[in-house]
Amino acid sequence: MIHNIQIAILGLVLGGVYALMASGLTLIFGVMGIVNLGHASFMVMAAFISFFAFKGLGLDPILSIVITMPAMFLVGVIVYRILFAHAIADPHKRAVTVLVTFALALVVEGMLGYLFSNIYRSTNPSYASEAILFGPFYIPEGQFYAMLLSMVILIGLWAFLQYTRTGYAIRATTHNRTAAEVVGVNVDRISMLVFGIGMALAGASGSLLSYLFSFYPSKHWEWVAILLSLVVLGGMGSLLGALIGALVLSVIAAFVSSSFGPTWSPVTFYLALFVILLVRPQGLLGKRSEL
Amino acid sequence: MSSLAGNLATGSAAAAAGPKRAFISALVIAAALFPLVHIAVGGLNYWLHMALFLFMNVAIASSWNIIGGYAGYISLGHNVFFAIGGYAAAILFAYFGISPFIAFPLCGLIAMAIGFLVGTITLRARGPTFIISTIALVLLTKILLDNWGYIGGTNGISLELLDLPVALVKLPFYYAMLALAIGAVWLSMRIRRSKFGLGLRAISQDETKAEVAGIPIRFYKILAFALSGLFIGMAGALWGYYLTYLSPVIFLSILVGAKFVLMTILGGRGTVSGPVVGAFVFIAANEFFVSQLGATELNIVATGTALILVLLFFPEGIVGTLKKNGRLPRFLDWD
Amino acid sequence: MAVLTIENVVAGYGIGPDILTGLSLSVEADKSYCIVGPNGAGKSTLLKVICGLLPTRSGQVVFDGATLNGQRADQILHRGICFVPQDRSLFPDMTVRENLRMGGYILKNWAEVDARVDAMFELFPILKERSSQPAKTLSGGQQQMLLLGRALVLRPKIIMLDEPSLGLAPKVSRQIYDSMERLKAAGITLIVVEQNARLGLKFADWGCVLDLGKLVFEGPSQTVLDDPRIEELYLGRRRPRTGNGT
Repeated sequence: MIHNIQIAILGLVLGGVYALMASGLTLIFGVMGIVNLGHASFMVMAAFISFFAFKGLGLDPILSIVITMPAMFLVGVIVYRILFAHAIADPHKRAVTVLVTFALALVVEGMLGYLFSNIYRSTNPSYASEAILFGPFYIPEGQFYAMLLSMVILIGLWAFLQYTRTGYAIRATTHNRTAAEVVGVNVDRISMLVFGIGMALAGASGSLLSYLFSFYPSKHWEWVAILLSLVVLGGMGSLLGALIGALVLSVIAAFVSSSFGPTWSPVTFYLALFVILLVRPQGLLGKRSEL
Repeated sequence: MSSLAGNLATGSAAAAAGPKRAFISALVIAAALFPLVHIAVGGLNYWLHMALFLFMNVAIASSWNIIGGYAGYISLGHNVFFAIGGYAAAILFAYFGISPFIAFPLCGLIAMAIGFLVGTITLRARGPTFIISTIALVLLTKILLDNWGYIGGTNGISLELLDLPVALVKLPFYYAMLALAIGAVWLSMRIRRSKFGLGLRAISQDETKAEVAGIPIRFYKILAFALSGLFIGMAGALWGYYLTYLSPVIFLSILVGAKFVLMTILGGRGTVSGPVVGAFVFIAANEFFVSQLGATELNIVATGTALILVLLFFPEGIVGTLKKNGRLPRFLDWD
Repeated sequence: MAVLTIENVVAGYGIGPDILTGLSLSVEADKSYCIVGPNGAGKSTLLKVICGLLPTRSGQVVFDGATLNGQRADQILHRGICFVPQDRSLFPDMTVRENLRMGGYILKNWAEVDARVDAMFELFPILKERSSQPAKTLSGGQQQMLLLGRALVLRPKIIMLDEPSLGLAPKVSRQIYDSMERLKAAGITLIVVEQNARLGLKFADWGCVLDLGKLVFEGPSQTVLDDPRIEELYLGRRRPRTGNGT
């Protein structure tokens, strides 16, 4: 019993981090209808920034979000302007837009691979190898901090969406783009902002990823598939859905990992995706039309 | 009298199809005779290699086009069929001694059967979700193969080389791939002109309306998905044997599937000749980039950049754009 | 004194044909207007052009002496023209209060918006009762009231409504028109597009009849209602319905 609770705890902790990673993906989909297959490649890009900040400047990877978040925000705004500004809100272009994000992921992967080569890397701050004890249970210290930071950022994001004027505009654009235009929301500006925010969230995720896991440029496919599976489970475009999906699948993956070995942990996510498609293609909180 | 009218009608139809038929016949005959030049003169192994690689990609792109072009369901995971065909042939050869030259049709059928099963699940989704499921399919298959000791796992599996002199060893592969290319283009052409093909194109335009019009959309989509795996599976079977070595990375890196997509879109998805033209242009460009840039990482960048440029500025591809502007030469209009 | 003039406006969607084919119309501040005409006449298109959702291909829209052509929807809102589209364009998962707040989105002062939202609740008590429920849980009539309330938050000079009675029971339609009477009394210029010509013309002071993207004739509502040409437009040349009226 204690063993099982321990596994569930580890799953939940990691699930919190997954939720942060998926938040940008689901936010961008909600507002723009774009599934950003390049999301995780930008996470890996941010992980490299954190890696070199740690090796070169001795900057703690958690603190390095002060660099990665604004940097990735800027990257997001530029990418949006060049590639997506003219294609959003046109459902006929959506399939093509997904392919554009796919191609973008290839470009980022290739560039990172060319510049830094495809070897395993990770930052190793002191807390990455420690554990915190709670009675009979333990949580790896690094994962604990990552989960806390993820929750802080997600709560901040939620409060931003719920209580600020811009947050209202973002939610309004998600729910009804035309109506948002009618009341005077500049939906193009909002889309650009959201793409930037989504990328900034990928930036923060990358900083955490840099010490939680070992990473290399082509690793991002595995990540994006995991994130997409939990976003599909929660319902595309729903932030709460992504959080629930992340916690549920992460706990299941933790049990699979402890029973069959860590190799099979990602399989949980892929298989879950197929099961969801069979049982409830619209996800837990999604609408059918959003498929 | 009526038979005379019939003859006249077929005569004029033949005249209309003239340039196209002549062009295709000339291509096939030239391709069939090319190895004789090699045998006579020698030293054309590089060109044989490039040609058979082209034939394979013509077969692959034409097959992908059935689901990705006609039906409009973009699959980024068709290299799964490639891997299934390759590994099925490898198992039959390494463990049962059946030559891939005999087994490759069976390997294609296996890929198709698995396509049928997978399609019943993934084709429940549309648009972005379908695309996601195809990526997940690649990653899932890779993990399964990586961990299957019987076929060597991540280390891969080696096959015995075909026992022929160096000058001749490529020829069986050459003719087999040529046959695949012809077969795949023929299948694509037949589908395009059939009621089935019409249904697929209706699905790509507006799935709900297609369903209302009485098209069995679920069955059509699944059948298209499975059929698109047939020749890709056969290509995989021959390609693995040609390389004499199979590993999950070779068949199942995302880049492999991405290239299938790029080729077809570059040529013009939804047209019959588009994938053929696309495969040719893509391989020529790719060969140029590899010789100029060398590094595989830059190759990934180039593939991605090319895909972005095509999608943004040329989404209907070479054949599609020419056709829209009424500039497609008659001999390339195979629809 | 015309407050809004539309001169020879030509407009259409995407690469499609012209829907408005040189339409001219002038709107005076102290009247209310009802625009009628058969399907495809360009009624909704006209409203979209005025509020900046659809660009003109040629012609001019002038409001208070300033040209509106090329201005964004939010800039036109700032000048005091509000649009209520016909498709119940609410934010379904946001609460009633949040929807009303969105009505004042272009005002930077959030406290002022809240004060105006509370004033709105005086006008529509039913919305106050439901203020913390998602908009999608409201009935059709309540949703239409919410749309009216959302437009009122800005205290605009002109409100344009596209088929406010669409899909509502007759009794509910009358309630909506009763609320609109109050807006009229408060000095807001109302421009209503209405498929139900009788209902709309009874409400408005002035009737404008559109056909094939042009103004065919106009006049005091009762005159328009009695004009035999109306009957001819609606009944004489029957056309097939083509989706939502444009």
